[in-house]
Amino acid sequence: MRHGSGWWLLVPALLLLLVVFVVPVAMMVPMSFRPYVPLVGITDGFTARYYTRLLTDSYYLEIIGRTLALGFTVTLATLVIGYPVAFFLARTPSRWRSWLTILVVFPLMLNLVVRTFGWIALLAQNGLVNQALRALGLVDSPVKLLFNFAGLLIAMTHIFLPFMVLVLIGAIQNIPRDVEDAARVLGASWASTFCRVTLPLSAPGILSGSILVFVLTISALVTPRLLGGPTYQVMATLIYDEFLQRLNWPAGSAQALLLTLMVLALVYLSGRLARRTGARA
Amino acid sequence: MSGAAPALSVRRLRKAFGAVVAVDGVSLDAAPGEFLSLLGPSGCGKSTLLRMVAGLVEPDGGQVVLAGEDITRVAVHRRNLGLVFQSYALFPHMTVQENVAFGLRRRGVGEPELRPRVERMLELVRLGPLGARYPRELSGGQQQRVALARALVTEPRVLLLDEPLSNLDALLRDEMRVELKRLQERLGTTMIFVTHDQAEALILSDRVVVMEHGRVEQIGRPEEVYRRPATAFVARFLGRANFLAGTVAESAAGRTVVALEGGALSIVAGPRSGLVAGQPVHAVIRQESIRFEPAGDGAGAAGANRFAATVVFHAFAGQAHHYVVQLASGRELEVSAPGATVPLARGARALVAWRPEDVTLLPGGGPEPGGPR
Repeated sequence: MRHGSGWWLLVPALLLLLVVFVVPVAMMVPMSFRPYVPLVGITDGFTARYYTRLLTDSYYLEIIGRTLALGFTVTLATLVIGYPVAFFLARTPSRWRSWLTILVVFPLMLNLVVRTFGWIALLAQNGLVNQALRALGLVDSPVKLLFNFAGLLIAMTHIFLPFMVLVLIGAIQNIPRDVEDAARVLGASWASTFCRVTLPLSAPGILSGSILVFVLTISALVTPRLLGGPTYQVMATLIYDEFLQRLNWPAGSAQALLLTLMVLALVYLSGRLARRTGARA
Repeated sequence: MSGAAPALSVRRLRKAFGAVVAVDGVSLDAAPGEFLSLLGPSGCGKSTLLRMVAGLVEPDGGQVVLAGEDITRVAVHRRNLGLVFQSYALFPHMTVQENVAFGLRRRGVGEPELRPRVERMLELVRLGPLGARYPRELSGGQQQRVALARALVTEPRVLLLDEPLSNLDALLRDEMRVELKRLQERLGTTMIFVTHDQAEALILSDRVVVMEHGRVEQIGRPEEVYRRPATAFVARFLGRANFLAGTVAESAAGRTVVALEGGALSIVAGPRSGLVAGQPVHAVIRQESIRFEPAGDGAGAAGANRFAATVVFHAFAGQAHHYVVQLASGRELEVSAPGATVPLARGARALVAWRPEDVTLLPGGGPEPGGPR
């Protein structure tokens, strides 16, 4: 491995990546510069208008901004909710641990569409959540939880939480207990030990869990489509509509390429961040 | 050991994990500045005992008293103890300097005072120029020195060491032993040292606590526990010894005579109180207490504790020659002779002899408690 002799182990994965990712993306590049004429179709020629429109038109900028905001908030929410769960599961001596871990993963075994419809039933104007809120006298009129940011945030946090928890469990289990014990004996309280030792040492897990959830969120299609309806768009639904409803492949290609570019940029930047912090760990 | 109040007292400390009793009512004292070893095989409860002193394991019963103050219920981070782990347990995300400064910062020591203290401590463990490195850039021995510095810089009331040298290779371990002992003599810190390595315990300690099955088998100076083992376990665990089962034939003021099982042989031991004629005993003779005398040396095999023997096995181990010799009765003894002596070939005949005072008598009948390890 040390002398590069292990590279052939990557060949199957690299081939797959080439066929299902690199080639399609590369094919989208020329497509994104061709003009689309309504009622005629994709014509020959060159235009950059889909890019300029994407980056100047407030309609598209709002969708891009919304997608990014959703990505960051869902990531933050899964992190805040998931870390304590992962910490508990990584550390509990209980013999129920493996069952509890399965419970965390359990939602993943349910079909995504089914889960999303479940959320519709819960979050609708007359859904369970609103009924409960009104019964408790907390609100007078129903709260709008569907076809807006709140609904997407709630549902996607729930859907992607298991990914975050699973990644964090691994990271927290990798922290040697001796190191934490050493901090406590040296005079650090539980909270101080957590902030100065446990949290920094679980940073690699926090980073990879966050990348995973962020990328899954901004590229999610089914949940935003069903919970956002036809009007509350994110980038994935926009691209879907562009390709399959409006048949404007050049515009769709430009949007898809931008989304891919955003994901790649994020992965690259977090990789650099990981190297900078990881240089110490 | 009397006089000054003990730096650390453990009183009837007990801990069970489920049905397994790890520490079973252990009491011991460590005098200020003393180097005390807890010695025993893995699973004897020595590490659990140490962790209870540190506060990392909550005892089921008993007390931990630090310089007169009962700290049994005091939180770990308020005990002001030092602990060095077998795994070093350095903070991988901090430099050597930050590691060493960690304890001082938690105690609110200001930067102007902190820097020189950290640097002085790094000098003391001979790591002066490496302060800016990260732990993973250091060798095992250097990492353990950082761990030592990190624990000692806070001037802990007692330094606890949990098998700190076991992860080092043999050569480095010898070096670190010397360094640890010098550091202890220089700083005068009371140290409780957990180890399963009997040589380490003997070399380093002022006193050794031999433990087995969660209980203390014997506490004493290294010479005491080695030369005068109180139990068969201690005799077996420290050094290598021959166990000979027999009965007390005669117990007089100056000497005790033991008739060995199978008859024909009797050995003479120094006086030991509390033994009566007819009582079953084990005579314990260290390998190195047995010496060879040239055969046919006038006196013959008639003298006390002198027997004719045939060499049935010989191996050279540098510092010593290891032999197995067979007595006329068929009984085999393990003998070790200094490495510089002329070796005896297999099949050679010789006289083996030992002094009465080198025989330890342990009461107890039944089968021999295992051979030499």
